[in-house]
Amino acid sequence: MLTRIIAVLTRDLKSGLRDAMIAYIMIVPILIAIVLKLLVPSAGANLIHVAVLESADPAFISMLEDHGRVEILADRDALVNRVSAVDDVIGLIETPQGTEMIAGGNEQEGTVEMVTAVVDLWQNRDLEIPVLVRFSDVGWELSPLAQYGTSFLIVFVSVFGGMVVMLNLVEEKQANTLAAINVSAISRLEFVVGKGLLGFILPLFHAFAILLIMGFTSIHIGMTVVVVLSIALISLIFGFVIGIYNDNSMSAVSSMKIGFIPIFGSVFGAMFLDSQWHPFLYWSPFYWAFRSIDQIILQQAVWNDMLLNSLYILLITMMVFALLYKRIKRGFA
Amino acid sequence: MIDAKELTYSYSKGKKNAIEQISFSVDEGEAFALLGPSGAGKSTTQGILTGLLPIQQGEATVAGTDLHHLSRSMFNKIGVSFEQSNVYGKLTALENLEFYRKLFDGSAIDPMTLLKQVGLDQVADKRADTFSKGMKHRLTFARSMINQPQIWFLDEPTTGLDPAIASQIKQIIKERKASGTTILLTTHNMVLADELSDKVGFIIDGQLKLVDTPRNLKLRYGEKLVQVEYKTEDTVKSELLSMVDEQERKRLGDIIHQYEIETMHTREATLEEIFIKVTGRGLV
Repeated sequence: MLTRIIAVLTRDLKSGLRDAMIAYIMIVPILIAIVLKLLVPSAGANLIHVAVLESADPAFISMLEDHGRVEILADRDALVNRVSAVDDVIGLIETPQGTEMIAGGNEQEGTVEMVTAVVDLWQNRDLEIPVLVRFSDVGWELSPLAQYGTSFLIVFVSVFGGMVVMLNLVEEKQANTLAAINVSAISRLEFVVGKGLLGFILPLFHAFAILLIMGFTSIHIGMTVVVVLSIALISLIFGFVIGIYNDNSMSAVSSMKIGFIPIFGSVFGAMFLDSQWHPFLYWSPFYWAFRSIDQIILQQAVWNDMLLNSLYILLITMMVFALLYKRIKRGFA
Repeated sequence: MIDAKELTYSYSKGKKNAIEQISFSVDEGEAFALLGPSGAGKSTTQGILTGLLPIQQGEATVAGTDLHHLSRSMFNKIGVSFEQSNVYGKLTALENLEFYRKLFDGSAIDPMTLLKQVGLDQVADKRADTFSKGMKHRLTFARSMINQPQIWFLDEPTTGLDPAIASQIKQIIKERKASGTTILLTTHNMVLADELSDKVGFIIDGQLKLVDTPRNLKLRYGEKLVQVEYKTEDTVKSELLSMVDEQERKRLGDIIHQYEIETMHTREATLEEIFIKVTGRGLV
């Protein structure tokens, strides 16, 4: 039994790697994650970059270092030269009248204002403020781009596993190889399991690759596996149904794209809608998957919540499967 | 090995039957040809017997398996060569066979041996989507032998092949038949059926009109004929005359006396002529 399942899986993998569209689907999530990773540091790049003289007050330098990068230069000429370079560096020289700012004039918008705010902070350090200011955690423990971008990407690429299964089935339909399969000793169950395995393996591979690229190395592996597998299941069912009923890959991909609507709808709804509106998204398995992945990334996930969310996903999947079961069975025959 | 009783099948929920009350049996080691024009019901019959179509009415047993209770193990004993080649284009010829042999239990024939038999060993490592129609057909044919089937279903095995390859395929079929394989051949090629089968069945409009050996059919329905070519003043004429019909025998005598004979051959009726005589229809 296992030999036949593996035979089907390896055939699909081999064939998939020789198909431009499937190879693209396999690689593109990794590329998106790399691009996302490159974009994320820019969220933390809102730090000042200044140049000061050696003679500057060490306390001033120390305060500046709390707010960004500080370069220390020997004299005024060296400082002016440094400011003249193409990057955004503001020169700061302490004078009896206050702090002199030297800018190149080609700085990005907001750079000078940010440095001015920091310098003001230094100059008003002894000022008695007539109000009490207290800072509290607003819940943003990491870049929203990294947090939501990663969660969204993982939920989105879960569909890709189903898509690969679908394209492999379309290939079987186009070449009528299903007829040859149906007159071999492989059982329907073995064939479906062999075909479907890629729909689980691929999202798992993609999910962990994305998490690794995005630097989320301390997340809970077990919970991630459970959530990714549960969401992959519904993508797989759609992949089977569309694959069985389409004779060419372009029409199959077009049909699969319709599935993107609930994904985008539920994920963006979960991101931007007030929680009172969330019950309108409860029907979507992708909503529960997004919530779970988000909690995993924030390291706030607990098994009870993860299992409950996965249970919702499985219940919705079972309902979809019950509705489509006859079509799937007919298609294989 | 194959026993079909009153098989009836409809693609339109009983409105029109594709086959009706088809009954025949094929003994172990026997080659049976189902002959008929396109759309006669040959492929539907084969589809039911290979489990590709569900049995709707009637009874059928293949290799001891009742098709009402189809078991996957039956497929270890049968091989099916399809009329339309159906191989994985992105896999090489060898990979196609390697994959397919893993789907069966028990021993299988070495894929390279099979590729050599059908003349594809030189292109074993080439992807099947680069193959010509004939090469794909040969690969489909080779695949049907991989599990060393006891019963071999062949659907138009030589259609679209050049004569040399067709002859090679026929030779393979003859060898397997000699080694005891039971064969169900569906074709509209009467010459092929005549050459390869022990028994033939004429099927038309979904009904099996007649089942017998080619020899019996020729004896029963065939006439002894003479094809004569003779010279008139400036042209050569040809006539096909019966050796049984009194008038035509007299006509032959007249020709011999009056004209210069160019060629004269005796000829027995072909299966095709018998088919037309029995069914009143051609084979196209």
